[in-house]
Amino acid sequence: MKLTPAAVESFLFREARLLDEGRLDEWLALFPEDCLYWLPILDDGGEMEPSIIYDDRSRLEERIFRLKETRAYAQEPPSRTQHNISNVEIVESSSDVTRVRCNLTLFEVRVGDASQPDLGQPQVLAGRCEYVLVGSAHLRIARKRVLLLTRDLPLGNLSFII
Amino acid sequence: MEFPSLSPEELIVDHPGDFRVHSDAYSSPAVFDLEMRRIFEGSWVYAAHESQIPEPGDFVTTRLGTQPVIVSRDASGQVHVLLNRCRHRASIVCRLSAGRAQQFVCPYHSWTYGLDGTLRQFAQKEGYPPDLDRSALALHRAPSVATYRGLIFARLSDEGESLEQRLGDARRYIDLWVERSPVGRIKVTRGAHRLTYAGNWKYQMENGVDGYHGNYVHSSFIRIAHRAGERKASSFTAVRETGGTIGLSHGDGLIERPYGGMAGQFDYAAAQHADYHRSLDETYGPARREDILSQRNILLFPNLFLFESHIRVIQPLSVSTTTVTMLPTMLEGVSDAMNVARLRSHERFFGPAGFGTPDDVEMFVNCENGMRGRAVPWVRLDRGLHREQAADGVLSGHSTDETPQRSAYRYWRALMRDGARGQQA
Repeated sequence: MKLTPAAVESFLFREARLLDEGRLDEWLALFPEDCLYWLPILDDGGEMEPSIIYDDRSRLEERIFRLKETRAYAQEPPSRTQHNISNVEIVESSSDVTRVRCNLTLFEVRVGDASQPDLGQPQVLAGRCEYVLVGSAHLRIARKRVLLLTRDLPLGNLSFII
Repeated sequence: MEFPSLSPEELIVDHPGDFRVHSDAYSSPAVFDLEMRRIFEGSWVYAAHESQIPEPGDFVTTRLGTQPVIVSRDASGQVHVLLNRCRHRASIVCRLSAGRAQQFVCPYHSWTYGLDGTLRQFAQKEGYPPDLDRSALALHRAPSVATYRGLIFARLSDEGESLEQRLGDARRYIDLWVERSPVGRIKVTRGAHRLTYAGNWKYQMENGVDGYHGNYVHSSFIRIAHRAGERKASSFTAVRETGGTIGLSHGDGLIERPYGGMAGQFDYAAAQHADYHRSLDETYGPARREDILSQRNILLFPNLFLFESHIRVIQPLSVSTTTVTMLPTMLEGVSDAMNVARLRSHERFFGPAGFGTPDDVEMFVNCENGMRGRAVPWVRLDRGLHREQAADGVLSGHSTDETPQRSAYRYWRALMRDGARGQQA
């Protein structure tokens, strides 16, 4: 059964909420064994070019392990995030594969001693997301590609999940 | 602008058993301005990699210190480093980061320059005398431009040593780094990791050759490598007792760990590919191969690092803002699979979302923030001073000692005091 626009939107909103509430295990569970979480630097770059993030499932597990279990100083103090999803479009859909595009506006701030100039300063990241969703009743993210507006420009600390 | 109470020379204390750097070296705008003139404009600095401009007409834009430049390759193949400033009213003539061009046209009044900077034409020429000397109106060319093993260096002054003299003993380490390619050629990727931090450029300079912080700042990465079954967390402690730090002349220095220890931790792919090792053996022999595959973080003062997997360039923007560019390297003469594996290994630790870089950058910002505690004026870089060895002008220390940082600051002081001529003293 093809997904309705409302079902897709509701799935993406839930994904955003899991990240903003720090429910990282539940977020990780959205990705199947064969997956790609990808933030390219170049529009036309593939695996032969560096990416900001090019995570298969095992690298993605490491990313979550780092945030949950280790002293990642770039997240001490941690980031608060707010992922806003808009402009959701179903690009292509069949009974078990749905390709989706949407826009992401991400507000992020690290709390702590706000007199230290890098803390307490909200940053905004914008990006265009491309999802390949698989399944129907039990949706999974086979691929999430985020083209940040600033992908090939100097970036700040991106140690939170985008 | 008020200069700090101490002279540039007094900002470094270098006595037996005592090595300190004054906070003003990191936070005074006047010191920063002098650094730009004496160090980044007055001595050799890294500009670009030849593989970024392989064909005639190729160019990249960058900065020598804070001065905007275009690094171009002209029709004859010669590389030029041109000030990106129109000779008429100072407008930038090129707004792109890289590309291919036949000429550079100033957007303001259409003054048009060749790839070698020559002024070719300008609009409405009747407004100038017919005998105007166009040759005096070329884009300003860096008077000193030279290349060593693909690395393009430039100097805005024509005074001082040749590049070969300047690199001196560091050439041995550059050679070993390039020989990671079995055919001795390295390319950089089109994409690069770029990050900006709110802190002085010298925090990155110091940290790239710092062997003391790894167990603490990178405890997160150590646990990730342990979890993956690649390397026991305890081995990261044991490896501290191998290799060492080296301080060279001209502010250069490195941390070096022999093959089989830490080596390969940040280029895991290279450590795993048997075919790659065989091809290095065929070209260089097994002994040289082990030397080539030793882990080295090489600082070429002031703005270039050569790491196992990438070139890192420090770009000071202001006294308290710095951009760092990490350009991953592709080895010529190895399989695509090997280069892809190296890239994925690089991304795991480095870049703004890597499992290592952001934790390092956090320390730079912590230092910048702490430096505001001016009641304590000095930063200590005396670790291992009592056990440092000197031979033939080369200093060596324990792998966790601040030997390379001290060499960098001694040269920093010489340049800040005397400019380019001081470096030969």
